[in-house]
Amino acid sequence: MTTFAESTITFPYQRSLGPVLGAFMTALTERRILGIRNGDEVMVPPMEWDPATGAELPPDFIEVGPAGTVESWTWVPAPTVQHPLDRPFAFAFIRLDGASTSLLHAVDAGSPEAMAEGMRVAPRWKGERIGHITDIACFMPGDTPETDGPDAGPAAEPVEMMEYLASITYRNPVPTMVERAREASRERRLLGMRCPICDRVFVGADRPHCPIDAVEFGPETEVELGHTGTITNFVVVTPTPYPGQTQTEPFARVFVLIDGTDVIFPYQTVVELPVAELRVGIRVAAVWASPGEVGDDPRPAVGPSGLVGWMPTGEPDIDDPDLVNRVY
Amino acid sequence: MTLTSDDIAVIGWAQTEMVRRTELTEAQMLVRVITDALEPLGLTRADVDFTCLGSCDYIAGQAFSFVYNLDAIGAWPPKRDSHVEMDGAWALYEAWLRLHEGDIEIAVVTGSGRSSTADPALIYPMEMDPYVLAPLGADPLTFAALQARAVIGAGIADERSMAEVAIRARGTGTVDVMLAEDYVREPLRRHDIPPITDGAVAMVLATGDRARRLVDRPAYITGFDHRTDCHNPALRPLDDSPSTRTAAREAGLGDAPVEFAELQAAFTHEELLLRHVLELGDEVAVNSSGGALRSNPIMATGLARVGYAADHIFGGGTRALAHSTSGPCLQQNLVCILGGRS
Amino acid sequence: MKPCAVVGVGQTHHRSRRRDVSMGGLVREAVFRALDDAELTMADIDAIVLGKAPDLFEGVMKPELYLSDALGAVGKPMFRVHTAGSVGGTTGIVAASHVQSGKHRTVLAVAFEKQSEGNAQFALGSGKGASLGAGGSFAPFLRAYIHRSGAPEHIGWKVAVKDRQNALKNPYAHLKIDDISLESVRNSPMMWDPIRYLESCPSSDGACAVVIADEDGANAAAAAGRTPAWILGTSSRSEPLSFAGRDPVRPQACLQCAEDVYTQAGITDPRRQIDMAELYVPFSWLEPIWLEAHHLADEGEGWRLVDDDTTQLTGALPINASGGVLSTNPIGASGLLRFAEAANQVRGRAGEHQVDGAGVALAMAYGAQNQYFSMWVVANSLHPFG
Repeated sequence: MTTFAESTITFPYQRSLGPVLGAFMTALTERRILGIRNGDEVMVPPMEWDPATGAELPPDFIEVGPAGTVESWTWVPAPTVQHPLDRPFAFAFIRLDGASTSLLHAVDAGSPEAMAEGMRVAPRWKGERIGHITDIACFMPGDTPETDGPDAGPAAEPVEMMEYLASITYRNPVPTMVERAREASRERRLLGMRCPICDRVFVGADRPHCPIDAVEFGPETEVELGHTGTITNFVVVTPTPYPGQTQTEPFARVFVLIDGTDVIFPYQTVVELPVAELRVGIRVAAVWASPGEVGDDPRPAVGPSGLVGWMPTGEPDIDDPDLVNRVY
Repeated sequence: MTLTSDDIAVIGWAQTEMVRRTELTEAQMLVRVITDALEPLGLTRADVDFTCLGSCDYIAGQAFSFVYNLDAIGAWPPKRDSHVEMDGAWALYEAWLRLHEGDIEIAVVTGSGRSSTADPALIYPMEMDPYVLAPLGADPLTFAALQARAVIGAGIADERSMAEVAIRARGTGTVDVMLAEDYVREPLRRHDIPPITDGAVAMVLATGDRARRLVDRPAYITGFDHRTDCHNPALRPLDDSPSTRTAAREAGLGDAPVEFAELQAAFTHEELLLRHVLELGDEVAVNSSGGALRSNPIMATGLARVGYAADHIFGGGTRALAHSTSGPCLQQNLVCILGGRS
Repeated sequence: MKPCAVVGVGQTHHRSRRRDVSMGGLVREAVFRALDDAELTMADIDAIVLGKAPDLFEGVMKPELYLSDALGAVGKPMFRVHTAGSVGGTTGIVAASHVQSGKHRTVLAVAFEKQSEGNAQFALGSGKGASLGAGGSFAPFLRAYIHRSGAPEHIGWKVAVKDRQNALKNPYAHLKIDDISLESVRNSPMMWDPIRYLESCPSSDGACAVVIADEDGANAAAAAGRTPAWILGTSSRSEPLSFAGRDPVRPQACLQCAEDVYTQAGITDPRRQIDMAELYVPFSWLEPIWLEAHHLADEGEGWRLVDDDTTQLTGALPINASGGVLSTNPIGASGLLRFAEAANQVRGRAGEHQVDGAGVALAMAYGAQNQYFSMWVVANSLHPFG
């Protein structure tokens, strides 16, 4: 039975608007909707360029609406978290009075029976407006704009930026190989995959096949690896803050050459080895999680495992000039 | 002998099982499908001079996701290789251009994607205008529904003919039962909407005499073009697809009739609109594979259309058209015309 | 294969945050500069090739869709490539291929990144914790090179100083560090041992555009006194991420890619026949590493060309006269900037950072863990070696 791993990628992007959208968004805080002239036409929302030719449009803004006419619509019976309303609504192409093009926005009509091509709609403004397309909370049937709650007034400064919170959740099937590697790791075993053609051994449970021979790996290609090795190379990362960051102090990742093999375990964590003491040639052994603990394998594909990291054994360093070249 | 443009051919292709949710990684799908495409031709990865992959990081949920896919192509010794963040049909275009240079003979292109891993209604708004459309969560069903309205309004389709498209695509259903279902996004019902599919496609191209040595009946690319319309669906007539018309004209659709067409129509009304724009009459077999309404492996759907069109030529057909699309309401469109020689 | 040439180059003023423009505005700045340079308009362009790094950087999926109108692409073919860090180079190569195939006559290549909208470390780690960051994955390669070449530690600092001093002569470059010195580099904080802060590339918002024309277009430019940069060769190679024995310090894919592009260009003695090169160096030690992997220096000797000032702007083989990636790094655009700067050198349009008499130039971009390579050789004549 396949298990799934869920992960969410979330980030609050900060977008600069440029002069045209900046003017549009600033006007929204003033409960005004701007279009831009393009020849005989008025484009809403305003664009910096003529879509047909790419030519720059002079900043000749004109106020449109606030009311307009529905040109086309569709009913959204089950809104998503990204939609402007959390109850069923219509998305509509709305031709605001004075505009030559339509604006896509939500119409809070209550039911699809209340929607019709040609109906009149007017904006319901948010009381607090920041310079965002959703300063218009939605449109409503009728000709008269409304404001939700007390009006907090226009933006104090021209609006130049907007925030976009992107958040997507992925449910990825955990490949059988990864499950087996994790299970083995919980049993304190390290697995590699030996390619029957080139005889190389590959580690990293997210390597489903030999990249040289395109031979797929499976239980029959599994080999058991020793738990001791030598650090061949390393990196010390000074962490920077970002959403989702888990590190606050400089942290190390090392490359371990497993004894008696040609196999490198890359980007491994270290245990009881201060960053300042990292060297090529240190002898290390695998450290396993206690029952109930999970390892901190940083590679996303492997995830929770029994392997916590690698700890110096105290043996003398290996002095081999070729060691440092073994990153792979 | 110098290579001429019409001497580049599709000589084979393969697809993974098309499933609702795969247990395989994208790289696993690719390693199998590339082998499946090469083996019947007696070719190995070592014979491949150029590879071009089509895939999308956002669908994979991983920056640089295609780097993992590189393992599937056998890039050792190092390969001439490229990648497009587009459907494999555009990877095919890149390979086709590259083969014109005449110094290489065999190319493999792929398209792959697992759209089952995230909700399309939440991902696809991110490909919309970042300032005025994405922040509304403007999703593909909404845009498709608005286009369907326009297409119906222009008399190119109606809910009945849309249901008939769905029946032909999936080989099952009756119109009256289907029309009794609720709308999902009026005027679209469940049957008008594509499935979510995970899958991958690999295709082999060859030039000139090499193609003719490898297969009896290469599917020559006699014309190939792609165009884009403007992005915001509100700014263009949704009852038309000018970029499809232009791409088809430039690909030489007008030179001779096609008897077979595979159109990347994810929604039923799209098939009717595309048929209308391409002026494909009843004598043309359209989407006999079931098309994107049957299986829709995003990033491979378009390349699969080319594959089925190639199959038609391999089986003795004369001229087939394959179409691929990207963006809201058929924003960008690609037309590839394949022909056989007697 | 049909001859083609660069007839126009444009780029933005690269900065850490271009808050004054929208995404469309950013790319158009570079596009209009390139078109003006070529004395063409959008209407003259037959096809557009867009390249950029992962969409997670800006949170806009498939931005070529939104940018179609902005790039004047409506009614035209529009293409989007993505080959990790080498993407800018691939953009140039695929655009050239559009013309070399004979299928298109005048093609616009555009690459950009507006990475201040997001966070580079976040995007590089796909939103997960403990991201290695930009330099973390390369630090071990640099350590291996330093060890196996026996290079003295100041080589990295020297490259960092050279590139930032060159950048002072490039009006578009991001970093302008007037007082950069070996000492200031050595004293800057360690970021990813052995890479120090001032040995690392910045994070920039920026765009680059290049107009590539067919033989007729190039000859027309030449007749009007605008020297074209003939594209004598283009090449790409990829190799897998990891297998026992892979050498990311002297990667086969790089060696072979370089051999291929030299053969196409008629180059038999690269060190002497190439007048300057723009190599993708985001961390200082990659300069000697790439010199060796491009057959511009013998194995183990690349650092000597840095040490003896060969790679200085006034040296025998200037590297990164523009200031390079170390001075300007909108990730998706950086590769195309190398290709564009090389073209400007042989066109004699590099202004203050012009290498005297540059007739043949090499440009290179790489991606992922030294796996993806894109290169071109440009020259101001079709047959520079007779």
